[in-house]
Amino acid sequence: MAEQDSFLHLARPLGPASIGAQPSTAPLSVTIQPQAIFSILDHSTRRPVDQERVIGTLLGTRSEDGTEIEIRNCYAVPHTETAEQVEVDMDYQKQMLALHLKANPREVLVGWYATSTDLNTFSALIQNFYGQQGDGTWPHPAVHLTVSTVPGKEIESRTYISAPIGVTAERAADSCLFIPVPHELKYGEAEKSGLELISSAKDNEDRSQGMLTDLEGLERAIQHVLDMLERVSNYVNNVLDEEATPSSALGQFLMNALSLAPKVDPQDIERDFNAHIQDVLVVSYLANTIRTQIDLSNRLATAALTLGTGDAVAGDANKDGGDNKNQRGGGDRRNKGRGQQRQQEA
Amino acid sequence: MVDTSRDAPLKGVQIEALVVMKIIKTSAQQFPTIATGALVGMEVDGTLQITNSFPFPTVDVPSTDSHQDSASNLAAAAPRAKANVTYQNEMIKFLREVNVDANNVGWYMSTSMGNFINLNTIENQFFYQKEMNERTVAIVHDVSRSSQGSLSLRAFRLSPAFITAYKESKFTTESLQKSGLRHHDILIELPVTIHNSHLVTSLLHQLPSDAPKEELQFPPNLAALQQDPNTPQPPLYPNFDSLDLSIDPYLEKTCDLLLESIENHHTELNNHQYHQRALGREQAKITAWQQKRKAENAARAAAKQPPLPEDEWQRLFKLPQEPSRLEVLLNSRQVEQYARQVDGFTASVSSKMFAVKSNLLPGE
Repeated sequence: MAEQDSFLHLARPLGPASIGAQPSTAPLSVTIQPQAIFSILDHSTRRPVDQERVIGTLLGTRSEDGTEIEIRNCYAVPHTETAEQVEVDMDYQKQMLALHLKANPREVLVGWYATSTDLNTFSALIQNFYGQQGDGTWPHPAVHLTVSTVPGKEIESRTYISAPIGVTAERAADSCLFIPVPHELKYGEAEKSGLELISSAKDNEDRSQGMLTDLEGLERAIQHVLDMLERVSNYVNNVLDEEATPSSALGQFLMNALSLAPKVDPQDIERDFNAHIQDVLVVSYLANTIRTQIDLSNRLATAALTLGTGDAVAGDANKDGGDNKNQRGGGDRRNKGRGQQRQQEA
Repeated sequence: MVDTSRDAPLKGVQIEALVVMKIIKTSAQQFPTIATGALVGMEVDGTLQITNSFPFPTVDVPSTDSHQDSASNLAAAAPRAKANVTYQNEMIKFLREVNVDANNVGWYMSTSMGNFINLNTIENQFFYQKEMNERTVAIVHDVSRSSQGSLSLRAFRLSPAFITAYKESKFTTESLQKSGLRHHDILIELPVTIHNSHLVTSLLHQLPSDAPKEELQFPPNLAALQQDPNTPQPPLYPNFDSLDLSIDPYLEKTCDLLLESIENHHTELNNHQYHQRALGREQAKITAWQQKRKAENAARAAAKQPPLPEDEWQRLFKLPQEPSRLEVLLNSRQVEQYARQVDGFTASVSSKMFAVKSNLLPGE
């Protein structure tokens, strides 16, 4: 997403041996799911007035060899930062991690985020904390995700892993080398419909949007497809009129797309269409009939006693209602069976 | 002033984009088990703003067949389980430290095919509205409906009339007649709106969504066109999934569920019938006994003996308890839900089908 800075690759002095086993610095790729980004942005809008950036913990999954990391979740961690020192609430981080793992046992700690692109001494300190042995991500490297949230500017995100650097043990504890790694935003099938609704609100002044009905969604989708078709046919017409430059590759692509259109006999279409639409309408009709019947049955059940004609009558009425519905239900099932058969024939 | 705002009913629910994504994520992860979680936020002028959420811990029961029912039951009952109340309070305590609106405003659950109106849901919401905070909602996310193209998120509350009835746990024919409670009145649906923060809006505008407007270079050949990394992705909105033409699986499943509900309804009716027959039999017995006692008393009066008490039948006979009508009510509400679902679905499907037909048969 963000432009990668150019960076020098230097043979670096290794950290002092006292650090012990080094976390791996093998290259890896990071995938970020949208809810993690949304959560970071939400945290950023809720930061204390006097604080420039806020930090939090990233949770997610790691592939077996550790080269692919998927950031699925995150939570905010309170911290205070002054010119001289930084203070992260370790207790909070630990307890929150335990709570999150209870609900999502498959997710593990993968790193941390900050809401500014700056990397400074404190970043290194926190990075070393997240990557340490014991509570940290060791032996895997901790991922550091920065998301810039400067108002009026584009939101930039970057991901890093780190390598130890420094000549003495004291220096190594609060310094590290951040190595940029590639990352991408990815959303799954399940999230698509949610993102659709969320992004439909992006041009609204009040930034909100009511729920869409199926028909509205359909209308918009069709409208969009029509616009795209219009654009393509415009281009093709222009080429035919020798006003636009032809491109054989585009032509081939369009031919391939067009040849996907099925060639079916009109009679078959007519037949299948009629059979299918009948099924759909019958199901709809039956569903509504059932609804009315249930309503009726309930009313009879609670109203019968007030007539004062005795309980037996009420019972019979109920029974009739029930039987009747059951027959209809059966009809329903038969009908559906037929619908499937027809489909198989087709 | 506090009182007036307390009494006014909630007008709507506004859900933050973050919460939508979180609910979708946990629901998809847990599918087909029901996922549940808590919602936090605050109320502003009758609109409930939901600004964050977190899932409840999952219950890990070995998924053998015999345990499947109990596992899904446990999952559905999670919001009112004691351990989760503690979990929730703990979590809210922590969230308060990072400036999240730390008020419990309800809970959410996932469902499939709109099959969510049952005792578990009612009990959860009753628990929330009674124990936690009166002004809470249940958000229901339909996973299978959402995979059809358009997101399905709905907000529900229990109606005051139903709460009163449920508190007394009286669902006899008589009490229903008196209160006039019907299955339409169990749940109140609130309108849901989605709200984005400024930063989210900014992010969305950054994502490429439309075909590029400027002139592009022509690709040298077909392979280059297909592998071009700059090929625009299909936009998030509108969602072309809604053009999908698969009809049968969805209708079929809904019909199956509908039939199941009808069967339940039938069973309940049979129970009631059985009860009424038993009641009739007992009553006939009582009348017979009373008549016998009367005749006896008349005989004793004639013989100048003191009459025997006439209300002894209350000790001798016991009228059978009427089965609760709650199941019937919920079932009816569920059937109504299915029927409406079918209605909405067929509306869009039939228009899609006509569109396809006229597309394939342009001559007509």
